[in-house]
Amino acid sequence: MDTSPSFALSGLTKSFGAVTALDDLTVTVPRGSVGLVGANGAGKTTMFRLLLGLIAPTKGRIEVRGQDVQADPIAARSRLGFMPEHDCLPPDQTAADLVATLGEMSGLPTRAARQRASDVLDLVGLDEARFRQIEGFSTGMRQRTKLAQALVADPELVLLDEPTAGLDPIGRQEMLDLVKRLGEFEISVVLATHLLDDVQSVCDHVVMIDGGRLVLSGPTTQLLERAGTVRVDVEGLNDVLTAALAVRGLTSSVLDDGTLEVAGEGRSTDELLDCVRDVVADMQLPLHSLSTRHASLDEVFLRTAGER
Amino acid sequence: MSTASGALGAVYDRGYRPYEGPRGGRREGAFALYRASIRRALGIRRPWRQKVFPWVLLAIATIPAIINVGIGYVTRDQPRADFQFITYREYVGVSSALLLFVALTAPDVVCPDRRHRVLPLIFARPLVGSDYVLAKVGAIGTILFAFGLIPQVVLFVGQMLVSKGALNYFTDNAEVLWKVPIAVLLLAVYYAAIGVAVSSLTSRRIVAGVAILALALVPSVITGILLDSGDRNGTGVLAVLNLLALPLHLRDLVFLGHTDPEGPLNGVHYGGLLAVIVYCVVLATSFGILFARYRRPEG
Repeated sequence: MDTSPSFALSGLTKSFGAVTALDDLTVTVPRGSVGLVGANGAGKTTMFRLLLGLIAPTKGRIEVRGQDVQADPIAARSRLGFMPEHDCLPPDQTAADLVATLGEMSGLPTRAARQRASDVLDLVGLDEARFRQIEGFSTGMRQRTKLAQALVADPELVLLDEPTAGLDPIGRQEMLDLVKRLGEFEISVVLATHLLDDVQSVCDHVVMIDGGRLVLSGPTTQLLERAGTVRVDVEGLNDVLTAALAVRGLTSSVLDDGTLEVAGEGRSTDELLDCVRDVVADMQLPLHSLSTRHASLDEVFLRTAGER
Repeated sequence: MSTASGALGAVYDRGYRPYEGPRGGRREGAFALYRASIRRALGIRRPWRQKVFPWVLLAIATIPAIINVGIGYVTRDQPRADFQFITYREYVGVSSALLLFVALTAPDVVCPDRRHRVLPLIFARPLVGSDYVLAKVGAIGTILFAFGLIPQVVLFVGQMLVSKGALNYFTDNAEVLWKVPIAVLLLAVYYAAIGVAVSSLTSRRIVAGVAILALALVPSVITGILLDSGDRNGTGVLAVLNLLALPLHLRDLVFLGHTDPEGPLNGVHYGGLLAVIVYCVVLATSFGILFARYRRPEG
């Protein structure tokens, strides 16, 4: 059984003239749903183009499911599905015709491509609309068509570039539900987005890049856990407690309601909770309340990027 | 598999079925693009308005053959039964009217891919730029070849049937069976390469169409004026710059073995060779533009 990761980058650098889009990225990304997170211009789309073998890296190595992309970009592409961010659908074709044709271009026999097109359009909820011209489609239907064409050749890994862009809240949730379902079908997903909520709700693993550099990479739950904080209320004695926590390597700040928020770089919220509890107990301070607070990916990103 | 059944029927969630059948590679992918481009150019699976033009054009291109066969039938018992309204060689010249087809269809199969940004979808498949170029030129070239050849087939078969001896007609004219396909192929490849190359330079169909016509017609008019007004011996060489008629000089080489004695290249030293060289240069330039244009896969 093939257990190779979704993709692995080793010292990957891509420059366009004087501009360095990706700078010495080294990361191994496991199978499953992976969020590729970064602000606009962070290098997400460039990374997709590199993974697809559409552009060559300036330096470094890329492997997609164990396949060296530079050595054989065609073989790498035959394992991938790609959903671009921008509008890319010919308006004067039906969804069924477009998806089937693209399936054939991926190497499927004609009959199989037609059947697969029907299946994936059904899967994305366009079963009734598949014989309509795309020019009459709403934004949500276009996004679903783009997803269907990425799935038609049954790829091992799908690259989704901002799949929820331009969707209303309901459409966005439906798209995220679809993306989440891909994991059930053993299709790995890389979801590039700047919407961290999307990643948090769908992805098992997060890769954050900023300005072309790797910020962090790891399991989503672990990142959130490690970015969590503890809130402690020892009324009137915050200064004393802050000093004691600092000795243990913990940082704390006073919130508007007078409670103290304590953060510990690299520690899970459980570890943090134990540590704060022990400090309070050792100092025999009058403890009013002690609670944990889970972070969002937005906070993780802002905090980590801010530290760099 | 989950089902939600009711009195009127059931909705089936068929889930996702992995594909475990055979998969082709670049060749199959490029062939699929080629077929899709042919379908698009002929209006297949498109609204009826898109279907009308190619088939009307084919019908018009076949009219001379029908007229010729009709005359042959009516005059089959007359003393001048061998009268020909149009010869096979001249008929290849009629096919140069297919340039109008190129000006309309080449932009239609190329420009929308760039205008609607479909290229990233195509090149996310196991294809490279040269596959795209060959598929597009091949598609237009195939249709031009078919539209140039079908009327000739009608002419040949019709003439054979109305002649006094079908077998004699066949053996007497057997050489056109290789001359016509070669001459039509030279014309089809040439127009297709120029049409697709010009179309690759813009995302707007109308601009590409006008540019194709201008590229063919403007040099044709200018060289025509120069050839008519100047000393024929000195200016005859300019005929090779008439991009519209250039393939017809090659047609003459195929049919006659030399340039047309009544044509503008008559009297020009190595006129035939010069025409072949310019033909090759135009083709090389067209493919050079195309390969450069699609060197970066996303165009």
